[in-house]
Amino acid sequence: MKVDQVLCAAGPVDAVTNQALAYRRLFDGWGWEGTDYAEVIAPTMEGGLVKPLRSLAGDRGGGVLLVHYSGYTPAIGPLLGNGRPSLLISHNITPAKYMWDQEPFEGVRCSLAPDQLAELAQRADAVAGVSEFNAGELRVSAGRDDVSVIPVLFDRSRLGSPGGEVAAARGPRVLFVGRLAPHKRQDLVIRAFAGLRRLCPEARLTLVGVPISGAFEAGLRGLADELAPGAVTFESGIAPEALWDRYRSADVFLCLSEHEGFCIPLLEAFHFGVPVVARAAGAVGEVVGDAGVLLSPDDDLTTIAEVLRIVVSDPELVSELRLRGERRLAVYDHELTAARLREQLTILAG
Amino acid sequence: MKTPEEALAVARERALARRPEGELLPSPELPGIEADRQAANRRLARWALIEPDHAEVYSTRRLGAPITAFKRLLIRLLRQYFDQVTAQQSRFNAHSAAYMLALEERVRALEDERARTVEQPTDRDPQGESR
Repeated sequence: MKVDQVLCAAGPVDAVTNQALAYRRLFDGWGWEGTDYAEVIAPTMEGGLVKPLRSLAGDRGGGVLLVHYSGYTPAIGPLLGNGRPSLLISHNITPAKYMWDQEPFEGVRCSLAPDQLAELAQRADAVAGVSEFNAGELRVSAGRDDVSVIPVLFDRSRLGSPGGEVAAARGPRVLFVGRLAPHKRQDLVIRAFAGLRRLCPEARLTLVGVPISGAFEAGLRGLADELAPGAVTFESGIAPEALWDRYRSADVFLCLSEHEGFCIPLLEAFHFGVPVVARAAGAVGEVVGDAGVLLSPDDDLTTIAEVLRIVVSDPELVSELRLRGERRLAVYDHELTAARLREQLTILAG
Repeated sequence: MKTPEEALAVARERALARRPEGELLPSPELPGIEADRQAANRRLARWALIEPDHAEVYSTRRLGAPITAFKRLLIRLLRQYFDQVTAQQSRFNAHSAAYMLALEERVRALEDERARTVEQPTDRDPQGESR
């Protein structure tokens, strides 16, 4: 069997690219052929892994076309609905309102994407979202009832072991992992952390993620210097092993995003046994389930700071959260998701 | 505490108790990094005049150096055409940017005027008749 994958853009630290590469490893294991293509390829992307999308035009090999949709890409349109079996997977489209001030170009792409996604979904043979949140949006916009959910392929074996030697730190450590972007609300994470610092002056915050722009990062750093001077660390582009160490040394994972299509770092936090405190927005509530302290949008920063204080000081609660996190990971079991994907693609291939 | 639900309930109670002490932290509705409108305008104006960087023209293929050299040679040979296209695009961009900046100034002027009107009640009697 042959499955070609198409990405809107490919980059080494891009979550969607990493998903496509994980799919490819899976396909290789099943003895399936195919090539991965992207409209835009970051210069830092390892050569040969993903080919330019234009080279797909000359491919007459047939097989299933799997499109990972994550942003407006005009060149994808002609690929669907031309007789080749296709599966469209919607990863996430960030609402444009978050992008206008920081990245207007990204904002334009985000504002054009929902209409294009709906149009593509009408032409694809099968459509899926990586979360029920994404799938639900697509059912409404494309008018299709048959949008399924194929969760993110989460391979725990590629992560480090949950335990391990990590230098002991003074005071509780708060962690958030995700691109520094307006919809991820790292500004609120810093403000909530500042609230925790009033209660636990030795607390530290680590924000890991590539900034959407230099100006946005500078703004966040300024806020951190003002509210919690010297207590906030920004890191980006760190090696996987270093990231696993950040999880191992964290006492709580705080996610206050206003929009998430899935949020893989939540599962990573579960894997490393880090208690999760998260705001129920986008797909976050569905991914966390009952395995974390799930904040409502009405909970203010005082409440969040209190939740953080309780979590970092209550071993009994931490044990319960770790237990629930482990149970939650079973829902996103690698084999289970792989089987779901295989079934969908096999049906399409006929 | 045994469950996250209990923890959240306790946190809410404690937060409620702290509010009269003036401990309530601001919870901004929108992203707390205030957009620097003037900086955004400057950026818009800067981007309007496009300046393609020929150093960005390269080949991503392995051993692509000869291809990169060929692409750059092509650009040099077609410079007159590229300059014309660039100028045409920049002209359009500049006009669009100028139009938007002018619109924003008009909106700001209208907002200022409205704010002044709200602050200073007009010299009218309760029946709405001008004196």
